[in-house]
Amino acid sequence: MSRELESRAPREKNLLPFWPHYVLSEFIAWYIILGILIILAALFPAGLEEPANALQTPEHVKPEWYFLAVYQFLKVASVFSFLSSEAPRLIGILLPAFGMALLFFLPFLDRAPKRPARYRPLLLLLTVTTLGVIIALTIWGQYS
Amino acid sequence: MLNPTRVSQGLYNWIEDRVPIQAWIAALLHVTIPRSAHTYYLGGITLFCFTVQATTGILLALYYQPTPETAYNSILVIMNQLNFGWLIRSVHAWSANLMIVFCILHLLRVVVQGAYKKPRELTWMVGMGLLFVTLGFGFTGYLLPWDQRAFWATTVGTEIAGAVPFVGDFVREFLRGGADVSAATLTRFFGVHVLVLPVVLAGLLLVHIILIHEQGLADPERGDEA
Repeated sequence: MSRELESRAPREKNLLPFWPHYVLSEFIAWYIILGILIILAALFPAGLEEPANALQTPEHVKPEWYFLAVYQFLKVASVFSFLSSEAPRLIGILLPAFGMALLFFLPFLDRAPKRPARYRPLLLLLTVTTLGVIIALTIWGQYS
Repeated sequence: MLNPTRVSQGLYNWIEDRVPIQAWIAALLHVTIPRSAHTYYLGGITLFCFTVQATTGILLALYYQPTPETAYNSILVIMNQLNFGWLIRSVHAWSANLMIVFCILHLLRVVVQGAYKKPRELTWMVGMGLLFVTLGFGFTGYLLPWDQRAFWATTVGTEIAGAVPFVGDFVREFLRGGADVSAATLTRFFGVHVLVLPVVLAGLLLVHIILIHEQGLADPERGDEA
């Protein structure tokens, strides 16, 4: 539906062919990423620690970096223990889950009729703030 | 003597006689995109990372052994004895991280450009599903080397799931296949990593790409059709 709207005849000069223009530049991007992957793998090969031992807990146990923010938030949420003994766990898990749900339904929450970011300053501000908090929690989690 | 051009032309005609390949290729490739649409190749690079993961993952699965007694040693064999085994495993590990990085960058680009707006809400929600599946790949794959880092990261990770109100204990035991991270956890994580998630991701990806193909790329400068 929208493509018909967007590709009406007078706008022809504002259109690019997908093949070969876009595909070629996409392939160049893939080729560069493949090069980066091989360089990273050669310089920093995947490590392997001691075999798993259920009886010996290492000093700094952490999840992967992309779960660190949630993990750190769950730890930090213990400040809510003054509310009730269950509050830290409830808030620590439910708030990130709620955030994810909001993100999932974003197209129905952002009702601004125009797409360009300059017409949606509030959403942009929210995005930058959320991103900042997540990055801060990740770094905090990494060094604690 | 056989002329290669005539043979391939003949083969092509033979197939074209039966199925309309020409029309399929035209429908798939000969579409247009708005000149002002800038994807920065982020979604495409995520897709590329997935193909790298599928290729290196299949190669690793040929040698990996998903039991607590043998998993660690099979990784040692891959790293130290197989030709280029270290490269395949290292690329798999790096590409996993890059796939998540580019997933997130792709998401941010779509947010900033408002490309999820009508009529592309479904593409966005399927994309969120793809992000969750990608995180699931990372979570299940991390345990497989069965070293200290893997074991304890999974212990902590499943503990986070155990903090979910009401259903937490059930979820933790379901993920671990018992009270603790054990052989049962390793086999179910392996099964989910190599059988369940690839099928789910491929299915969601197909829907994601069909939607993009049907609706075309959003023109960031024209947001008034909603």
